[in-house]
Amino acid sequence: MKKEFQLLDRREFFRDAAKAAAVAATVGAAARASAQRARPNPFAYDVSHLEKTDSKLISHEEIQRWRAPYSEARRLALAPGGELLVASGNYVTTFSAEGERGLEIALTEPARALTVSEEGLIYIGLRDHIEVFDAKGQRQATWDSPARKTWFTGLALVKDEVIAADAGNRVLLRYDRAGKLLDRLGARDRERNVPGFTVPSPHLIVRLAPDGLLRVNNPGRHRVEAYSLDGDFVLAWGQPGMGIRTFCGCCNPINFTLLPDGRFVTCEKGLPRVKIYSLQGEFESVVAGTESFPENAKACASRGLGDCTQGGLDAVADAQGRIFILDYVTGEIRVMKQKA
Amino acid sequence: MTENPTNDPTSRRTFLRNGARIAAMTGLGALGGVLAGRSNADAWVWQIDPQKCVRCGNCATECVLEQSAVKCVHSYAICGYCNLCTGYFEPEPNALTTAAENQLCPTAAIRRTFIEDPYYEYSIDEDLCIGCAKCVEGCTRFGNGSLFLQIRHDRCVRCNECAIARTCPGDAFRRVPASQPYLLKETH
Repeated sequence: MKKEFQLLDRREFFRDAAKAAAVAATVGAAARASAQRARPNPFAYDVSHLEKTDSKLISHEEIQRWRAPYSEARRLALAPGGELLVASGNYVTTFSAEGERGLEIALTEPARALTVSEEGLIYIGLRDHIEVFDAKGQRQATWDSPARKTWFTGLALVKDEVIAADAGNRVLLRYDRAGKLLDRLGARDRERNVPGFTVPSPHLIVRLAPDGLLRVNNPGRHRVEAYSLDGDFVLAWGQPGMGIRTFCGCCNPINFTLLPDGRFVTCEKGLPRVKIYSLQGEFESVVAGTESFPENAKACASRGLGDCTQGGLDAVADAQGRIFILDYVTGEIRVMKQKA
Repeated sequence: MTENPTNDPTSRRTFLRNGARIAAMTGLGALGGVLAGRSNADAWVWQIDPQKCVRCGNCATECVLEQSAVKCVHSYAICGYCNLCTGYFEPEPNALTTAAENQLCPTAAIRRTFIEDPYYEYSIDEDLCIGCAKCVEGCTRFGNGSLFLQIRHDRCVRCNECAIARTCPGDAFRRVPASQPYLLKETH
């Protein structure tokens, strides 16, 4: 039976009207806010076209991937026997070339620099001092902090000496193997034509090249520099720019390593990418482009939170030319092999 | 059969009396709300949490003021004084000079001053800054994130419901004590 139409009394009318008005106002405000949130940004900083790499430039392919055992993975090193050392969290962990976990060394703070001698001694740079461990993970020595603002980020072994890169004071420190400080290299010196390191964020790496010269990144000048063991500035290469042949952003490369033939493998942040340069510093190819590290790229961009001090990559190369890449953001270690 | 008492028609006198009561209560409530709001506004102010800011551009366009109360702030302790400052230069500048076409800021509100090779100091001209966060994104994307946005309380008119906060996709706006009105970035 059809329901009869009933008149509302005044009270019901006001109550229902108030409800309807409240619902309409809420929905309207939410819709407006949603539309404003989703609106494209007229002031967008757009580098998306640089995040894609020309496939013709990519020389390597990934053959294996695993994850570092702890968060905040920051550094890789290779032992003479081919074992990979990974610094993550407050630990240094060894892995076989196949990714099987071995020795683990517990530290009091995160390791920021790492290298292994022919004898198997493991040199670990913590923020302001260096610790030495034997091949079984037993601490052999602790070297004192050399200066107030020391922030070790790189270590290299040269003959019977250890060269430590101190990003906080923008110098290289020469130690003997017993930990005695011998010399400071690389500080700005106009008379010796030493330009000085420009290090906006703590990324200063030192390696010994086959030609017997030290190679150091100078991220604020967007180049790799060569120094004699006495600290003479010899040469530099590298150009700033967003393009694939140059070093992007304010301060890159943040890390680099050497292939067995002496060519350079560089790592950048902001646009996370790993590239190969010739002995003379000419761009050769891309090991892995920005599109290979989406989480890392996101960590620096507005799509993620924080800033670019949290993003970045590290790399080492073994005697077969395989390149191990560590992603700071995901903690993944990728093994890259040259394409056939 | 007796009538349902809930359906009693309201007499004019009762209706007017109830209406007057409701109006009085509403008025008192509104007055209390205004006073409480004003008191609250004195004790708490809006501010942007730089760790949550997603550099969306809304701060430049949504503020009720003609020129936004949000401005870029520079933490010199974090800045790298870079020659190629990605907060100052377009992503692919023609040259590292102060020519307008090389600058990222749409209003040229950042000043670049040579310190010594290769260091430059960057400072914000607040009269020109519109709070668009383009420089903030450039600095954060590649650098240390020393540029960030803050509501300037010498300009903010302290709306009860901040027009920018309502549309902030990062929920970066929050109330902070008026005695500590800024959320500044310190060193890493």
